[in-house]
Amino acid sequence: MKNICLINGSLRGKEASSLVFLNYINGMLADTEFNKDIINVRAKVKESYPEDNLKTISRADAIIMVFPLFSYGIPGALMRLLEDFYLYAKENGYNKAAGLYIVVNCGFPRPEIMGELIRVIKNFCRRLSLNWRFAICMGAGPIAAITVKAPLLNMNYKRAFLAIAADIKNGDTGQKDNYFIRPLIPEPVILWIKAQYEKKMKTRAASK
Amino acid sequence: MFSLSSNLLPMNAILILDKDAKTGLSEDYKERILMMLKEKAHKVEVVELGRNDVTPCFGCLLCLTKHVGICVTRDRIAEIRNNVNRYDMTIFLTPVIFGHFSSTIKCAIDRGCGSHNLQVIVGYGDDIDDEEKSTFIDLTRKHRGEMDIVHPGFDKQVDVYLTTSSEDSEAICEAVKKYL
Repeated sequence: MKNICLINGSLRGKEASSLVFLNYINGMLADTEFNKDIINVRAKVKESYPEDNLKTISRADAIIMVFPLFSYGIPGALMRLLEDFYLYAKENGYNKAAGLYIVVNCGFPRPEIMGELIRVIKNFCRRLSLNWRFAICMGAGPIAAITVKAPLLNMNYKRAFLAIAADIKNGDTGQKDNYFIRPLIPEPVILWIKAQYEKKMKTRAASK
Repeated sequence: MFSLSSNLLPMNAILILDKDAKTGLSEDYKERILMMLKEKAHKVEVVELGRNDVTPCFGCLLCLTKHVGICVTRDRIAEIRNNVNRYDMTIFLTPVIFGHFSSTIKCAIDRGCGSHNLQVIVGYGDDIDDEEKSTFIDLTRKHRGEMDIVHPGFDKQVDVYLTTSSEDSEAICEAVKKYL
């Protein structure tokens, strides 16, 4: 049985859009076919992440990291886990054949904004000689989290998540394209909502 | 080009660095920039953050909605973030890890510790490959500064530099001089 490590990179608990995506992917990976472990990032880590967590990642055949985009990069909490895992892996060994997938959502409508983030994760893979697979980047995360649960409307998301499941199952190694999924709501509508919101914020900030 | 007031008034600067990742290179840059700021009679506060001092951003968005500009997590970062308007310039000094900020500095950035007037981000490292170098620069330059201010942080100017040697550090200080 293949070991799969799913990492929830959000600290928002049950409110996290990332958790919705993680559960969705988890549901596509049959319990009878895979050993699955879920690691949640932590707000407080004394010195280093617990060895149990790092060991789980090091023995995984596939690592799926699901997280939000923060300031165009990796959230600080997840970055800490990557730093700790890197040091642990160098010292204790790890499965170099492990495939790494990322599922990222952002507040912007255009998911292409995550291009540099993908490069960071590729650098991480290169440093550890891990098998970079591909990214699923979703614009307007909260909208995507709602859409993903809606039958027929969620086809783009479903197709992308199924691609991860199939890739793991088949043990593919060939290069794959990343998925960039825009929200169903047209961008001008989202930008209009954003403009109204920012206007309100500026007014509130000015009145303080 | 962004400029700070008339360039005659002393400004308040804050230098935020990762105390767990200090190297000869980071200390060299720190000394250079501090000397330069003090020579020009600017006030500078040095904050050395360690991994045990910082709490990551929870993404609760309360700083954008309910308590605009205020972070509800209580720690050293919140003290900086909640008084960020007092700083004319923030200098982030970070090791470059996989072409990214260190987790400690990223926690500070995620939580909005950067001055809204001017941020200078300086990455350092002795063992950074070319792709990591360009990733680090692009990560900031493509999305911050003059390029694409879409986040409601209203940063006026964000500059990014990378140093791998004492010569680089000197050149960065020269480049920053235009703001002083």
